[in-house]
Amino acid sequence: MPSKPSTSKDIPEEEEAEVLQAVILADSFNKRFKPLTIDRPKCLLPICNTPLLDWTLEGLALAGVQEIFVICRSHPEQVKAAIRNSKWSHPSSGLKIVPVMTAKETFSPGDAMRDIYTHGIITSDFVLVSGDLVSNIRIDEVVRAHKDRRKVNKDAIMTMVVKESGTTHRTRSKGDSAVFVLDQDTSECLHYEPVTGYPPKSIARIPRDILESHPNIEIRNDLLDCSIDVCALEVPSLFQDNFDYGDIRRDFVHGVLTSDLLMKNIYCYVAKEGYAARVQDTRSYDAISKDILSRWTFPLVPDDNLPGGYAYDHLRGNKYIPKDNSVVLSRLGDGAQVVASTLGARCSVGPDTVLRNAYVFDDVTIGPNCVLESCIIGAGVQVGERSRIARGSLLGPGTVLMPFERVSRRKQKSVPVIGEPAEEDDDGDDADADSELEEAEKNQRSISQNLGPGSDAFVWPRRAIARKGDEEGYENELENFNNWRLMRLGDDLTDLLPSVTSLPAASAAATVSAGEQEFQIEVRLSLERAFSEGHSLDNASVELKTLRMASNVPLRRVREAVVAGIVENIPLVEDAVPQRTEINKWVDRWGDLINLIGGVDGVETVSILQYHCASSTRFPLFGQILAALYQNDIVEEEDIQNWHAKPEAKGEGNVQKTWIVGARMIHQLNEQESDDESEDSE
Amino acid sequence: MATEPQTAAGQRPVEALAAKLRRRQVVGSRETALETVLVLRQVVTKARFQNINQLVEIIRSVGQKLIEAQPKEHTVGNTVRKLLHHVREEYNNASKGEATTSASSFSIANFVLQGQPRRQAAGQKAESTLVLKEDDSDDPDSFARTLKPVVMEAIQDILDELETVYDNIAKSAKDHIHSDEIILTIGRSKTVETYLKSAAHYHKFTVIVVESGPSYGGHDMACSLSSSGVSTFLVPDSSIYALMSRVSKVILGAHTILANGGMFAVTGSVLTATAARAHSTPVMVCAGQFKLTPLWNLYHEYGALDFADPGSVLGFEECDLVDKVDVVNPYYDYVRPDLVDVYVTNDGDHPPPSIYRLVKESYDDEDNEF
Repeated sequence: MPSKPSTSKDIPEEEEAEVLQAVILADSFNKRFKPLTIDRPKCLLPICNTPLLDWTLEGLALAGVQEIFVICRSHPEQVKAAIRNSKWSHPSSGLKIVPVMTAKETFSPGDAMRDIYTHGIITSDFVLVSGDLVSNIRIDEVVRAHKDRRKVNKDAIMTMVVKESGTTHRTRSKGDSAVFVLDQDTSECLHYEPVTGYPPKSIARIPRDILESHPNIEIRNDLLDCSIDVCALEVPSLFQDNFDYGDIRRDFVHGVLTSDLLMKNIYCYVAKEGYAARVQDTRSYDAISKDILSRWTFPLVPDDNLPGGYAYDHLRGNKYIPKDNSVVLSRLGDGAQVVASTLGARCSVGPDTVLRNAYVFDDVTIGPNCVLESCIIGAGVQVGERSRIARGSLLGPGTVLMPFERVSRRKQKSVPVIGEPAEEDDDGDDADADSELEEAEKNQRSISQNLGPGSDAFVWPRRAIARKGDEEGYENELENFNNWRLMRLGDDLTDLLPSVTSLPAASAAATVSAGEQEFQIEVRLSLERAFSEGHSLDNASVELKTLRMASNVPLRRVREAVVAGIVENIPLVEDAVPQRTEINKWVDRWGDLINLIGGVDGVETVSILQYHCASSTRFPLFGQILAALYQNDIVEEEDIQNWHAKPEAKGEGNVQKTWIVGARMIHQLNEQESDDESEDSE
Repeated sequence: MATEPQTAAGQRPVEALAAKLRRRQVVGSRETALETVLVLRQVVTKARFQNINQLVEIIRSVGQKLIEAQPKEHTVGNTVRKLLHHVREEYNNASKGEATTSASSFSIANFVLQGQPRRQAAGQKAESTLVLKEDDSDDPDSFARTLKPVVMEAIQDILDELETVYDNIAKSAKDHIHSDEIILTIGRSKTVETYLKSAAHYHKFTVIVVESGPSYGGHDMACSLSSSGVSTFLVPDSSIYALMSRVSKVILGAHTILANGGMFAVTGSVLTATAARAHSTPVMVCAGQFKLTPLWNLYHEYGALDFADPGSVLGFEECDLVDKVDVVNPYYDYVRPDLVDVYVTNDGDHPPPSIYRLVKESYDDEDNEF
């Protein structure tokens, strides 16, 4: 977005004392791009022929960031070299880029944040992004808003940048998104509910106190998380204190917002202008490539300000031809079709070959009469003539496919991903990759007959990757196999989506959620145990309190459960007098539990009792139970009167009958009182 | 080579401007031209050179960098070309025209390029007192010492011209606009705005401002005109044709004037000019001379080669459409020379067919491509 020069001039003056720092997490901490990432870190994978890291750096440079720390884990030497050779390390770029290596044991963004804390490199509020960000958002404005907020409220520790995108936008990840609950006036993020694509999530639970304390809230499921965070200095130390935080969103944001102790606030910045998205998976790779080609990222477009420094000419129909003719049209054979695809440098495409939604890296040779659809072809791949590479395939670097090969999902059901070891000896220290490669090689014997003779390729095991993801624990829910498919390029999800959409709307609208049902069962069991084993009141109440804390339900639910438990356990006797003694026995023994579970609220107790009796077989006992509660001072006379005065106590049907019973009782009580008074006066 | 150290010294402002241009933080033809002049001044102040070729080389390299950074802001290149032209002129004056910098041979190709004879005669009136000593090994700085003040003066001239360009164009406003005219203009052009306001001092007339989506610069224009007492209407782009029969004159702004007499102008200009042609309404273009560019439009019939993001046309949140529709959102239209009747510049009025002469007089042929 072209902006007024005045805004960009203001910032350096304002922050002269403070250098704006940024941290790039240049590792994805997942394996969604394997085997493309075997010998290259993900942040150096090209998108529109420019490494992802360059996009990220350009986005930060645009925001006036002066010092950048790049946290690299896999292939750190490559990342370092890339930074050293890029235009960013040139002194005139005004950026100071420091690569920071972390240990191989860094498995999550959380670990990386703890690492940042131990390094002690951050001196003030900083911008946290991942190394796969494509953005033209004015982050400096977000930083300014964040700092202004910090001046007023020291607890505003983080500002997340989100963008309105609509629920089904191609760039919004289907597998990993979130519901944001925002305060409309302050844009404070009140609640963060992560959403996983599979198993499909149909219910978002929002704590009740949020609704109570904020009059204007927005619940939004249409926000694209740009994963640009402006963080206060405290954020790394919070990660340090909470060693189990892994993911920044699912653990940290969720943890901070739900914690009663931290009392920290997180804000959202809903970007109105600009574009920002993360290449988190192959599907978003596809979407973001298309966004770049259709110029949503303007001015970061191939013919204008492509961060990598290549220059392209823009032609009608959003075609981009490099200025220095590194991909010459003539090298594309006659009749070749390239649709919605990108070609790397020094590629050649044979005649009558069709490329559709194909992303081809550098130095790729594709023979004549091939069809490539929705696939990513790694660097240096050679595809023989008449090969077909079907939707969703990823060809690892250096793969050689001989003529007449078919790489398709339909034919080889489970394994469309092809990888090639690319002489891994030089990478011997990368034990992780090695073991995976070995595993892959073991598996391939069974599958390799599908590939043509003479091919220097084998099939990358997909199940193995999915299983590995499970082992990693923290990302369990994200990395399950079906969720993975939601994030994969070219998967049409015909077998997954119907199940997603066929979810009955009623279940989404159900008021009692699964957690509460579980709680009610637990409470009933625990009460039954207490009754049958004759626990002391204190023990029983402690047990109930713990249960309530564990499942985070409001007090009323517990009270309901206790009242129900007591009422339902009173044995039914034929005659009125023994019945009364039974009731008194039970209420004497257990009645106090109602008030011991935390907080005395007689009115609530009575109305719970009323509603319970109205819908129960013990409906005739209401009056007697109420009287017994009154005798035991569990409810006061005032409570009964207040309850009686409440409009909702009147109700209909059985509820109304109980109300009439109550009215009679009040009448009696009043008479008693007047008797007492008259006695007193005598 | 002696150029190495000083390029490094003068590098920082150049890089900074290049980055700004690339990121579109500096936009608009006059803004970019001004920034370019300021950078050139910094570079020349710090530059060290021993002969004219080195100086030209330094300026050219700066120009190359800036143009590479943003080939679509043509005024950057124009400003550099203009400075080079001035430098050569001063040098030729000083050395009394004894040697022209370009060794011109008379081939057919050159003959065509050469076009009309230069206005060399004009230079001779200034009797130079400068004594230039090129490549003086005893005193390597002597050449720079003598030439630098002259070059700085030339830069100051360019700067002055840019700063006064609006007023100079507006001088002729009262002669072009008459009382009770209905004038149509599109979008917001600072030049046209000043022009109309200046004419408003002498005559009472009505202006119809077309809002020019999707940038809607017309809104600001209409506000600004009506606040200074011009009777103004704001109309949507769709009503241009319907209103044209009542309009007595169309006044447009330009982003760039091309050598063939065509121009790049804000989106909607070609629509307006075509409608005006259909009604035989005269089309006037107000533009400063710094917008003259020795280029032709080669790529698109109607659009200039500069497309913005589709965001202002189609919301990013329209997810279904984003996937299926490619939106083309050009910044500028290309207006063919036959659609324009006259260019009103700060150096007189010119019909489109004679623009090529202005281009030739303003710049040197060897600078057409960097």
